Amino acid sequence: MNHLLRERRGKTQPGIEPEPTVKHRADVAVRDAVPWLFMAICVILLSAPTGLPGGTELMFGVSVGTVYFWSAHRPESMPVWAVFLIGLLADLLSFGPPGTLLLSLLIVHGVAHTWRYGLSRINFIWGWGLMSVLALSLTLFQWMVACIGALRPMSPVPSLFQAALAAGIYPTLSVLFVWTHRTIVNPERA
Amino acid sequence: MFSIQVQQALAKLVLPFLILIACSIVVLGLARRPLVDRWRLDAADRLAPAYRLAAWPGEAVRGLYGDASGLGHLAVENAHLRDENAKLRRWYDVAVALANENARLKAQLHWIPDNAPSFVTGHVVRDAGGLYGRALLLSVGDGQGVQLGDVALDAGGLIGRVTEVGAHVARILLINDQASRIPVTLTASRGAAILAGDGSPYPRLLYYAQDNHPVEGERVFTSAQALPVGQSGHAPFTSLPGGLPIGTVHYIRPGDPVVVPDGSLVHPDIVRVFHYDQQDETGPSAPGRVPVQPPALAPELSAPSSADVEPGRG
Repeated sequence: MNHLLRERRGKTQPGIEPEPTVKHRADVAVRDAVPWLFMAICVILLSAPTGLPGGTELMFGVSVGTVYFWSAHRPESMPVWAVFLIGLLADLLSFGPPGTLLLSLLIVHGVAHTWRYGLSRINFIWGWGLMSVLALSLTLFQWMVACIGALRPMSPVPSLFQAALAAGIYPTLSVLFVWTHRTIVNPERA
Repeated sequence: MFSIQVQQALAKLVLPFLILIACSIVVLGLARRPLVDRWRLDAADRLAPAYRLAAWPGEAVRGLYGDASGLGHLAVENAHLRDENAKLRRWYDVAVALANENARLKAQLHWIPDNAPSFVTGHVVRDAGGLYGRALLLSVGDGQGVQLGDVALDAGGLIGRVTEVGAHVARILLINDQASRIPVTLTASRGAAILAGDGSPYPRLLYYAQDNHPVEGERVFTSAQALPVGQSGHAPFTSLPGGLPIGTVHYIRPGDPVVVPDGSLVHPDIVRVFHYDQQDETGPSAPGRVPVQPPALAPELSAPSSADVEPGRG
């Protein structure tokens, strides 16, 4: 039984194993890349005029939720360079205060990656709470930068709506991601 | 190449380094916003054809939904259209009579007509305001000669002005954006004011004369605004043609007049961008006339320097 388990875990266990073929390597690379590819596609689609209500706010919610989940649960699938590049793309395609979305994504990645062992032990509700607090603080930071840019206080209502949307969409996203994690990204752990 | 410890230390430094870059982008965005907006417009320029493609399914579905919902009240719609047609026919007669009278009066006065503005019509590609701004990206095609400061109107009236121009697209700052300030004339009270956006759907009226308040329901038009002295060419936010319809005055609370825009600021579909040729606002030169120096520069009015003040005086 132990022997079988070790074989299924593959490269995580030391031992003699056959050299992976090119096809196998490509398969693993694509599976690893699914989370950040999903995020990149979401960013491009949400910047397009699809007629979705709240598209701008949704871009923040989806990208923060995606980075938070994968940085905590499978950091190999959400490398920091991908977070940076997609954050840069999202900032380029949106017209909010420049750099704030990129900085928010990097901070979310840093927090989730640093506390990933703690996050894997606590209840989902607590993890969701932490994500909501993060989304609220980062969106208020965005609002502050927008106020400094406009040199006058602006209404915080759009920011609060954006934070609420980010917190509200996370459970749905995490259900999708748990399923993706088990079936596509890392089927060996299913 | 490096030892494992060095590699681990470098890997730990990547995130702080990238956060530092992001912070510099935030600071750059605050200090040089036009530069960042330029990059964003370039990106949008490249993606404009893809955006048109992405918008197509949504438009098709909306069209189908409109057709389906229209089928439900065909009879009501027909009766409504007949009424409106009868009304419009009456207005047509009035308009023809007025146009004839206008032409006759202009002929008697030897009226010199204004230059007809050139215009380009385009589809709105996407929202370009983000969470806090109110702006649109308009697809205008190649080489249409859209310039900064040109005015954008939809079927109802003025909706904004061009702030950035790309190869295929132009960014239009809507009149309800925080940064928009437009000089206006009020028709009934004959007053002047500034139309200032505040992010809400109804831009506010500011700086009107305190003894001549805007009247509820009166029409608001743009006020012609000349180029400042010393500026030539078509600089942004310096010149604006007068007489373009904007909307009507409404008091949302006592002492706080706003304008209900005629144009659709939320989801306009087709927008026209007008380019008005700059009229020469400077008068003809008068030979023999001695130019008067501006008071601030006249020597007798300038502040005395410390060398002019004698000690012991005063």
